[in-house]
Amino acid sequence: MTGTRQMVITLFVVAVSCAVILSFVYAFTAPRIADTQARLTLSGLEEVMSAHKYVEVIPDTLWEALDSSDNKLGIVFRVFPQGYGGPIPITVGLDTEGVITGIRIASAAEGLVETPGLGAKITEPDFTDQFKDKCLADVNLAHYATYVASACDPMDVFPQAGGFSEIIADTLWYALRDSDTLGIVFVGVTQGYLDRIEFMVGYSKAARVTGITVLYSKETDGIGELIRDAEFLEGFKAGAPEAISGATVSSQALIDAVDGYIDRFKEYVE
Amino acid sequence: MTKLHIFTRGLVKDNAVFVLMIGLCPALATSSTVRDGFGMGLAATFVLVFSNLLISILRKNIPNEVRIPIFILIISTFVTIIDYMMQAFQPDLYRALGVFVPLIVVNCMILGRAEAYASKSSVLDSVLDGLGTGLGFTLALTVMGTLREVLGNGTFLGMSVFGESFQKAPVIFMIMSPGAFLVIGILKALINKYVKKELR
Repeated sequence: MTGTRQMVITLFVVAVSCAVILSFVYAFTAPRIADTQARLTLSGLEEVMSAHKYVEVIPDTLWEALDSSDNKLGIVFRVFPQGYGGPIPITVGLDTEGVITGIRIASAAEGLVETPGLGAKITEPDFTDQFKDKCLADVNLAHYATYVASACDPMDVFPQAGGFSEIIADTLWYALRDSDTLGIVFVGVTQGYLDRIEFMVGYSKAARVTGITVLYSKETDGIGELIRDAEFLEGFKAGAPEAISGATVSSQALIDAVDGYIDRFKEYVE
Repeated sequence: MTKLHIFTRGLVKDNAVFVLMIGLCPALATSSTVRDGFGMGLAATFVLVFSNLLISILRKNIPNEVRIPIFILIISTFVTIIDYMMQAFQPDLYRALGVFVPLIVVNCMILGRAEAYASKSSVLDSVLDGLGTGLGFTLALTVMGTLREVLGNGTFLGMSVFGESFQKAPVIFMIMSPGAFLVIGILKALINKYVKKELR
């Protein structure tokens, strides 16, 4: 018995001592870690748009850039389109005229997973400087804007709303009824099986998808294109979309992307 | 065995990567540049020295049946310390090494030294052993990192070595995964042919 007791006591004492030491180390390093993170984020923002200060609108995703007298200079936002090896973290600065002030692509150390020396060359100024001073409309970044303007109406996915107010141009709207915010509508894009899939989603304060439409897709006829079927899309409204068997890649991509976008934008309705 | 021998055994004769062939996963994965390899080596050395020190101090009080959980507790404590410290003071390096910092916990080199040496030897000897083994690991990763960065990216610690024209078209696969296997294979072959016999 003494053997067992000694085992338990020793293990307990060592575990508690380790926990105590770690709590001290954590208390010492936590503020510095937060500092370093904030400084890195700030220098990333400054690289694409210089401003007096940046106000975070959506954590880690969207900032408003202000000058010293609090005038809005533009926005800085991050997007993660699908690359060859994985998502490409891109930070974009956009002034109030819709002109790109700069873009920055995260280095491999910051999570870029493109092939070193080949795909990773997109981080170089030779490439990124091409975007500078271009109007957003000149660049494919806004390719879905045309669909939004012509074919699609936020009302299609949020019929309960009386009106919409734009938060991010052609991307995110508040759904309003008599000055109450009912929820949001957003446009998203993801990589499907053959081509990108663009979609518009309504998302209510009650954390329900109020509607979803596919704005653009060019998946396999009769298979991947089934993602446009009402039966599949209704699943989102019920809160439990199910991948279509035989068209798993296309349908799962859409399900994952909608989840991801909701995660990113849900602060707006909370 | 003299103190010097204890130190140099881990450094050269029983070099973890090139001779014992242990700790290969971080050695292959984090040796794409000199900085990453050196940083990873030092992080592992820190954990090795301090876990060896503590385990050696406690060796007479650790019941044999629970020694492995206790070793792992101690090792993971030091790994977490170095993880926090790196995050706070070396964020670039921390992001480059990624998951391999927390994975030092399961590096068999460290648990191996704790079990085979520190739990049976005096405090000074254990620290020397940890230092030697750790620096041997650092040496191996730095050599691999140097070869891979110079050939694969045309730079050493980020500074251009062969000039612009080489840097535009370096031997890219050296900094990718196959390059790691190739470099360690060739180094191991050279060591087997020229070095090992004289040391034995």
